[in-house]
Amino acid sequence: MAANFWTSSHYKQLLDQEEVDVVHPLDKEKGVTLEDFKLIKMHMANYIGRLGQNVKVRQRVVATAITYMRRVYTRKAMTEYDPRLVAPTSLYLAAKAEESTVQARLLVFYVRKLNPDEKYRYEIKDILEMEMKILEALNYYLVVFHPYRALSQLLQDANLNDLTQLSWGIVNDTYKMDLILIYPPHLIALACIYIASVHKDKETTAWFEELRVDMNVVKNISMEILDFYDSHRTITEDRITTTFNKLALRS
Amino acid sequence: MGDGTTATSNRGGGGNGGSGSNKPAWLQQYDLIGKIGEGTYGLVFLARTKSPSNRGKSIAIKKFKQSKDGDGVSPTAIREIMLLREISHENVVKLVNVHINHADMSLYLAFDYAEHDLYEIIRHHRDKVTNPIHPYTVKSLLWQLLNGLNYLHSNWIIHRDLKPSNILVMGEGDEQGVVKIADFGLARIYQAPLKPLSDNGVVVTIWYRAPELLLGAKHYTSAVDMWAVGCIFAELLTLKPLFQGAEVKATPNPFQLDQLDKIFRVLGHPTQEKWPTLVNLPHWQSDVQHIQGHKYENPGLYSVVHLPLKSAAYDLLSKMLEYDPRKRITAAQALDHEYFRSEPLPGRNALVPSQAGAEKVMNYPTRPVDTTTDFEGTNSLQTSQPVSSGNAVSGSMAAGHVVPNRSVPRPMPVVGMQRIQAQGMSAYNLTSQAAMGGGMNPGSIPMQRGVAAQAHQQQMRRKDPGMGMPGYPPQQKSRRF
Repeated sequence: MAANFWTSSHYKQLLDQEEVDVVHPLDKEKGVTLEDFKLIKMHMANYIGRLGQNVKVRQRVVATAITYMRRVYTRKAMTEYDPRLVAPTSLYLAAKAEESTVQARLLVFYVRKLNPDEKYRYEIKDILEMEMKILEALNYYLVVFHPYRALSQLLQDANLNDLTQLSWGIVNDTYKMDLILIYPPHLIALACIYIASVHKDKETTAWFEELRVDMNVVKNISMEILDFYDSHRTITEDRITTTFNKLALRS
Repeated sequence: MGDGTTATSNRGGGGNGGSGSNKPAWLQQYDLIGKIGEGTYGLVFLARTKSPSNRGKSIAIKKFKQSKDGDGVSPTAIREIMLLREISHENVVKLVNVHINHADMSLYLAFDYAEHDLYEIIRHHRDKVTNPIHPYTVKSLLWQLLNGLNYLHSNWIIHRDLKPSNILVMGEGDEQGVVKIADFGLARIYQAPLKPLSDNGVVVTIWYRAPELLLGAKHYTSAVDMWAVGCIFAELLTLKPLFQGAEVKATPNPFQLDQLDKIFRVLGHPTQEKWPTLVNLPHWQSDVQHIQGHKYENPGLYSVVHLPLKSAAYDLLSKMLEYDPRKRITAAQALDHEYFRSEPLPGRNALVPSQAGAEKVMNYPTRPVDTTTDFEGTNSLQTSQPVSSGNAVSGSMAAGHVVPNRSVPRPMPVVGMQRIQAQGMSAYNLTSQAAMGGGMNPGSIPMQRGVAAQAHQQQMRRKDPGMGMPGYPPQQKSRRF
């Protein structure tokens, strides 16, 4: 059902980490490792975020677009579905689904503006074709739930409104990972609050204990986020270029 | 991610669709019968399935054209797919399949076919048989409409375009006489407040539009659907649209003086005592002279609908047509109304008025089918369409005449497809209560459950009752932890 997470297609489609961390055989053939796979998805999440800022859509639309992009790659190979086209198209589709339609030509304009590299350059026609392929790849499931709504409610409940900005930023960063494919959004929100509260030395143990959620899961998610922060300080543009070269798209 | 229910994505037909054949592989699972409707963004076809398990089952296929301005899949189609993929209820159309033809970038939505709709049923009584619709039928149609709407509203979905032509009724078969709410092209999930449709330049019929929208309310609530249900209820009783205003077109302004005037004539002027937030509505303030110029003293709803003032039917109707959206009756409350607990009790097959004794089914005319139109929308069947050539021969090869399009007498410029069909037998075993948060069925309603559809049970995912609220119930254990 559309507004209830527990009966939604989103909930039914949640995957295990091991299911998400599968490099498509076609990509594997090209030498793409799991590390590369994650890196490209992260890079594309960032790219969708930048495009979203330029075409002025809400964070929610960006989040939906990134979720679409990540779902596509649980089923399709990057060698077949070029991430540099899937990223803007996911944003294009998400904008429609979230009732803030963005014109394809505007998107194409910013794609050009943001990318000197002409491998990123796609035309309107390409986006429209890819839109249908993405719809298919998503099996026409378009409703996505995000941690933001739960985040505000939980912060209010915990009387932690001064953590809003920090925890909101952490939620944004979770889209650089696959968490949204794996965990219910409210648990992701809780993990972000947990990190923020530890960071700011807020005493929240009692509050967390009152919640009837599995704190182990919340802590696991938190650890994943912190690991991510640690490991991705070191990524360079070169590393990304090398990875893309493996895909050998549009050569 | 096959879940076995719907939405085949057709690799074969898709990938090489451009190779010259205009018949994608997925299409071969249907026999095209003909065109049954036409809207601003595409066509609707009647087809029958060929697969052995469901042989001959009627399907309505709605084809969306690629929009001309080069903006891809129409947002209307996106909304419809998005919502219909998430919901499942006996009184809501069910999306059976989605197909994409990559060759011409067209999108097809396949629904189970419903032979009738309230527009045609009303018209039949008004123009052909000139007798009123049987009270049992009116009540059953209304109950099922409310039942479907309650499901939608408890899932935070507003339909926003309810009108008789969007309320379908199943013809002969297991689900005969079952109501299906259709056309979700304007429907929305209202997690966030919804802006008026007029903000998107969308035009919807004004006859069923709630007064708060006409007066420029900035946001939608589910109460707008209940107003429309009230209008439809009255129309079922009198066979005439209740508030038949003349639309001022080509204006982004939601203000429709004539429509408001029609409403005020019948219901009297709204007053601030009865509707406190009235004064905050933009057009109530800015058009004071126009709107408040005429004074209509005698609210005469009961005389318009020919109902006794003290009848349960009148009481329910007047609660649906309450001016203040916050006081207007909700779908859940309406289902619980006295009207549905008094004789004749509503039933599942709305088309069988004589419950006792010999069951006599109301015979409504079947939908006209234009058998000369193929899936491409071209007006002659090509021999390359063996699927439908048989029909072409028996059908209307003769004069190439096009069956009078049903959109002709339609009152309004419609955004949606006029005739969207619906719902399969597969939703059959879902009790109407299961998805309604429980307890909504006023116990005594004899909604007969069919038994014939047990075979389809596998297809249904039974929804948890009582889960209508959004958010994340903390007591819910996630399935994986």
